Order: sequence, then C-alpha cells, then structure tokens
Amino acid sequence: MNAPRSAWEGFLLLARANGLCAWRRLGAMGGRSRLTALATALFVAAYGLIAFSLFHLGLRFVMRFPGLGSLMVERLLFLLFAFLMVLLLLSNVVIAYGNLFRNREAAFLASLPVPVEAVFTWKVLEGTILASWAFVFLVAPLLAAYGVVQRVPWHFYPFALVLVALFSAIPGAFGAATAIAVARHLDRKAFQVGTLVVVAVLVAVAARGLRTEEITDEQLEARALAVVDRLLSNTRAAQSPWLPSQWLSASIQGWGEGALRTAAFYGLVLAAHSLFLGRLACSYLAGALPAAASAVHGRASPMARWQWFRRREERRRNLAGAWAGGVVDGQPARPWLPRDHLDMALRWAGLRPETRAIIAKDARMFWRDTTQWGQTVLLFGLLAGYIINLRHFSRQLDSGFWVSLVSYLNLGACALNLATLTTRFVFPQFSLEGRRVWLIGLAPMGLQRAVQVKFWTASWTTLALTVGLTVLSGGILRLGPARILYFVAATAVMTFTLNAIATGLGVLFPNLRETQPAKIVSGFGGTLCLVLSFVYIVAAVVVLALGSPWGWREEPPHPSAAAGAWLLFVLLSVLAGWLPLRLAFVRASRPGITEVR
Amino acid sequence: MIELERVAKHFGDVRAVDGITLTVRPGEFFCVLGPNAAGKTTTIKMIAGLIRPDHGHVRVGGFDLVTHPIKARACLAYVPDFPFLYEKLTPWEFLRFTGQLFGMDDEAIRTGAEDLVPRFHLAEWLHKPIDGLSHGTRQRVAIASALLHDPKVFVIDEPMVGLDPHHARVVKDILRERVDRGMTVFLSTHQTSVAEEMADRVGIIHRGRLVAEGTPSELHAQAGTNGALESAFLAITDGERTATPETPPGGRA
Repeated sequence: MNAPRSAWEGFLLLARANGLCAWRRLGAMGGRSRLTALATALFVAAYGLIAFSLFHLGLRFVMRFPGLGSLMVERLLFLLFAFLMVLLLLSNVVIAYGNLFRNREAAFLASLPVPVEAVFTWKVLEGTILASWAFVFLVAPLLAAYGVVQRVPWHFYPFALVLVALFSAIPGAFGAATAIAVARHLDRKAFQVGTLVVVAVLVAVAARGLRTEEITDEQLEARALAVVDRLLSNTRAAQSPWLPSQWLSASIQGWGEGALRTAAFYGLVLAAHSLFLGRLACSYLAGALPAAASAVHGRASPMARWQWFRRREERRRNLAGAWAGGVVDGQPARPWLPRDHLDMALRWAGLRPETRAIIAKDARMFWRDTTQWGQTVLLFGLLAGYIINLRHFSRQLDSGFWVSLVSYLNLGACALNLATLTTRFVFPQFSLEGRRVWLIGLAPMGLQRAVQVKFWTASWTTLALTVGLTVLSGGILRLGPARILYFVAATAVMTFTLNAIATGLGVLFPNLRETQPAKIVSGFGGTLCLVLSFVYIVAAVVVLALGSPWGWREEPPHPSAAAGAWLLFVLLSVLAGWLPLRLAFVRASRPGITEVR
Repeated sequence: MIELERVAKHFGDVRAVDGITLTVRPGEFFCVLGPNAAGKTTTIKMIAGLIRPDHGHVRVGGFDLVTHPIKARACLAYVPDFPFLYEKLTPWEFLRFTGQLFGMDDEAIRTGAEDLVPRFHLAEWLHKPIDGLSHGTRQRVAIASALLHDPKVFVIDEPMVGLDPHHARVVKDILRERVDRGMTVFLSTHQTSVAEEMADRVGIIHRGRLVAEGTPSELHAQAGTNGALESAFLAITDGERTATPETPPGGRA
C-alpha cells in the first residue's frame, strides 16, 4: 500500500496542478486571438482609469463639504464595505456549494487517498478567489483614489491589499459553512423555499431601510448639521463593531489618516478572525465534507415529515411504479404520462410545437436553477422596493425638474438591472445549447429558429418585469397617462435591444467547451455584452432625457427636437440590438457553428 | 479484498441498493451486470467511497471506507464512466500528478509510465494538452493513470466506452495480467460479452439487489439457459421482473 500524503503536501499538489492549468488557459487566451487579448487588456485599463477618476472626483466633491466632508467619506466607506460584504457572502455561498458538491474535480479527488482537509482547503480557497475577484476589481480604484485624496504614505497600499485579502477569507469561510449546512440538511425544494424566504426578508429590510424622512426648507437652511446627523444616523448599522466590514473600513481609514495604532488594532482584529475562521473551516468543516457530499446524492425531502407530502409522493410512486413494469389485473399497466399544463397554456397562445417545447424546457430549467430566479427576484425586488419608497419624496415630487430627473434615472436603473440579467442568463444560452446540438441543432427547426425562439421568449418574459416596474414608477411619480406611455415605449425598445445584444453576442462569441453559465459569462463575449449593454443604456437614457418632450426648464423643447431625439434613440437601439442579432441569425444558419475548436 | 456487508443506499424514498452482501477475493475478476438504474453505479460509488451507505459496511483491502477512508483508497483505483481529467495538463503531467497523490516517488512514476505509455499507445499524445485529445484517448489516459500506482483493487465503470476494438483489447489484456499478479478487479458493464470473456465471477444487480452471482456457467444453470451469457442475464432479470410484480395500489390498468 502506498503511503498517503499529508494534508499540506496534498494541498500543494492540487495548487500546483490547478495553477498550471490556469496559467495555460491564460496563455491560450492570448495566443488564440491577439485582438481579444488586446481588447480585454484595454478594457481592464480603461475601467481602472475611469473608475479611479470617478471615485477621485466623488471623494474630492464630498470632502469639500465644510466640516462634514471627512465624516461623510468615512460613513460612505463603512456603508460601501458593509454592502459589499453582504454581496460577498451571497456569492461565496453559491460558489462554495457548486465547487464542493457540483464539481467534477471534487468528485475525482474524493476517490483518491488525498486527505479531505487538502481537498476542502483547496476548493474553498478556489471558491473564495472566484467569488472575491470582482470585489477586488471594484475596490482597487476606490482605495487608490482614497489614497490620493488623503495623500497617504506609500505603505498604505500594500497594507490595504493585505487587509482586503484577510477580509475576503471571512465570507469564504462563511460560504463554505453554509454550503456544507445546505448540502447536509436541505434538498432542492427546501433550498428554493428557503431562498425565497431570505430574498423576501432582504427586500422587506431594504424597503424599510430606504424609507426617507421628511425635511422642511427651514430645517435645511437653519439646522443643516442636525439634518445631516439625522440622515447619517441611518447608516450607523454599517459601523457595528461586530461587522468584519467595519474592521476593514476602520483599519483602512486609520492607516490613511495616520492613526496607525487604530489601524493596527482593527487590522489585528480582522487577521485574528480571518485566521481563526479559516482554520476552523479547514479542519472542523472539512471533516463534515464526506457526509455532506454523500447526503447530496441521496436524501429524503425534509417535507417528508408532512402527511400530505407523503401521500402525494406515494401516489406518484405508485403511478410511476405502474410504468416501471407493473401488472394490473394480469395486463401490463399503461405508462403514467401526466398532462403537461405548461405546454397546454402555451398551446392556447397559438405557438407551434417546437416553439412550445423550447419555451417549456427553458422555463423549467430557469425554475429548477435557484441561482437564476433567485438573482432575478433579488435584483428586481430591490428595484421595486426603491420605486415604492419614492412616494416618500413628497416635496421633490412637486418639482417638474426632479420628477423628470427621477423618471429618467428610473428608466436607466431598470435597464441596468435588465442588462445584468440578460448578460448573466441570456448570453450563455446559445453556448449551452450548442453542446446539446444533437438535440435542437439537428432537429428540423434548426439552430437559427432556436435562437429566434430564445430571443423572443427572453424578451417577452423580461418585458413583463420592466414594463411593470415602469408603470409602477410612473404611477408613484404621478406622471400621467401620456408620459407613462412614453416611458413604457422606451422601456420596451430597450428591453428588446438588451435581449438582442445578449442573444446576438452569445451566438457570435460562443464558448462550447464550458458547462457552467457563470464561466461562459466571464469570458470575452460576456464582458463585451455587459460593456456594450451599459454603453447603450447610458447613451439611450441621455438622448431621451435631452430630448424630453416635457422639457427641463420652463418651456418645453420644440416638438421636432423631441421627435429627433426619439428617432435617434430608435436608430441607436437598432444599431446596438438588431445588428448583432441579425449577424447571429446568419451565423446560426451556417453549418459547423457548434463545432468545438 | 472487496467486502460489502448488507449494504443499502436510499435516494429519498427510492431504494437504489437494497442490502447487498458480496465478497470479491484477492486476484479475482468480478463483473457486475444489470439493467439501467439497477444500482450498479451506486454500488461502485460506495466502493470508491464517493457516497456512504445508509446501512451496512463497505471494506476495501480490509479497511472500512467510512472509518478508514484514506487507507482504503490508498489501495484502490477508480475509473468512472466519464473520468475527470485536468484539461490543460498533458497526459504525462496528469500521470505524474496522480502518481504523486498516491505517494509515488519520481522514479516509480517513470518506471510505471514506461510500461503503460507504450501499451496504451499514448507516446504521441504524452506532451499535448488533454483538451485536444479524443474521447478514446482520454479514456486511455484515465485508465493508465489509475493503474500507475499498481493498485490492489481496481474499480471501473463501463471501461470500453469510447475505446476502439484495438484499445479495448489492450485494456482487457492489461487487466487480465494484473489480475494474474494479484489485483482485484470490480468492473461494471452492460456488455455481457465483456463479462463472459473476462470475469471469474459475474454478479447481476437488479432493482438494487444482487439477484444472482457465480461463474457464467453457474448463472446459466441458475437461469436454465445455455449459449451466450446474454440469455442467462435476460432470463434472470426478466424472471425477477415477473416474479415480483409490483402491482401499484393506485396504478392504472
């Protein structure tokens, strides 16, 4: 018998093999297309530069508030890191679960004589890096701008980097612990119900937290400090000493302001917790991995304790048992083929069988993939919470300028939310379908028709969400029927355009090797889709706002200017959406498109 | 060498493996046959330690998979039907990696590879990334890497998938040689011809239970058939189906 490796040696072997793979993947990306590599490098550089400039401008602007600048910057940083921590927690849970229980490498390693601590530590570290890179990407320009504004010494930057790395370990350990608990105790249905409850609670908390307080002109003029203090009191939760984000913010700000003892204290608190939780995760939690992994593959539903659920399952089992070769009254039982209610509903809409088949399949996969609808509900739920809270802006809604500004900002926010979803879920659709080319691609309908069906399905489905939010926003802003109709039309055009961008670029830049949608999106095509969608949204909202038929000043603009702006908006939408979609249809009709290169 | 003692595994309310007791001796080639969803892969996954039995014990090389997983896996090699390979490594790097995970030193890895690489005709592909290899070549890489550490127990699920007749022959020959040298093989397949040709003993799993086991001639005797093993397999599984009709209380006629 060969001697088993120690946990540390096993970990190093895994790190080396995976590091080599990652390095080669990076090299292959550059070698395959210099243009792609150059575009990616340019995008990263441009993002860094623009983000730094914006953060720098913003921080300088806030710092100029007499007597309050530093305080407001401090609160903003506490708030920002608290929100980012919540997002990090969510992404770590999702990624840790996939990495530990839906990952082929983890299953492969489970059959080898590698100590479970090595496998667990490696997968958790990998998951934490995957979940945290966007966080680092986001805060790096902010910290650089903060450093410039505060004129910090050079050692601030490496110190901040260490703190961010230590901070990322805490959500990583939390994500691993939650993933183990979910795997051990919850099946898919229970997890979906739990996710819905968590999302509902988050939306309710956000809706409550976003509620505003009424402030009079007199208060603003005579008691500005008291008003600001009241506003800032709502942000105190982000400064709770129990929050790791507070330790990070306090340490970074302390170092930036030269308060090195404070910075060191909070830095050590952060380090102590990171190391303790990391160690706990990699020892105690690692031991729970085999049982949790085994539970994922065979577990009764927690709902089985309820009588009605047991009766329903028994009935289903009996019916299925008949199909599995049972004999009833000496005759072979007829197979149990339940009615497909979704298909019946789609038939009423007059759709063809192949169209119904794709729509029903996509709808079922969407519902059964908790991450997809969970993120959709979360994003649009938070937006709905914000819009509902607009009614509290009672004073501002009396001013035409503010009503116009908020209505166009709402249009932009709604479109930005949609762009996140189309990039995340619509863009990878073709790549995933391309892998199943034998099924849809070789069917008489062909890939081109499949792409068309996907585009229309995604567009009409998301249209219900975006138009619903637009009508809600218009109603709360008391815009009147004509204006609501105007925004509904704009939202509809933007919804179709954003879906066209995602569908089109998904076909033009497919990744037929990858099975995980998240990894498909993180490639060049997905990044381009997100950037193009954002650029389109900004351009469209600016064009529409500049040519607003209701004007910004006392007099409305000339009707021809408004019509010109609308025409420009439509042209822009056609250019951004129709063109990639048209190219995609042409490409999908060509033979060999799904060939894996 | 492989011992299953009243092993059961439930997936929710479904009994995937229902009280299997089986011992595979050292140096024995054991093939397991069964219809789809019979419980073969679940049994194999429990032997490989990927899932834990709800009841009973699984021991490999005398070590319980639950209480002594590392010691049990150290004498085991497992190749699933769709093996995982690191796409961006080369076959040589992958061989080295798996050898190191089993605690082999460089010299032992080289010696093992010098034997296996030519036999599996991998020399041409040895230093090319795995993501460019065909399905059959990947399968050969997976089998070679599993055999590299000279396991005492070799567990393989559908080994012939994707292999051409020539390489299927190579795999059969190597497994037979190793068995003659004392390795235990537990092979799951749908191809009754493979079982007939290779196995010292064949087991038939149906609806989670080991419904028959023995040499091919013993199975024929049990089924009352002769000729190819396929006829015995069909008779036994069909007999099981009609002998235990599961008339559903709520089933429709």
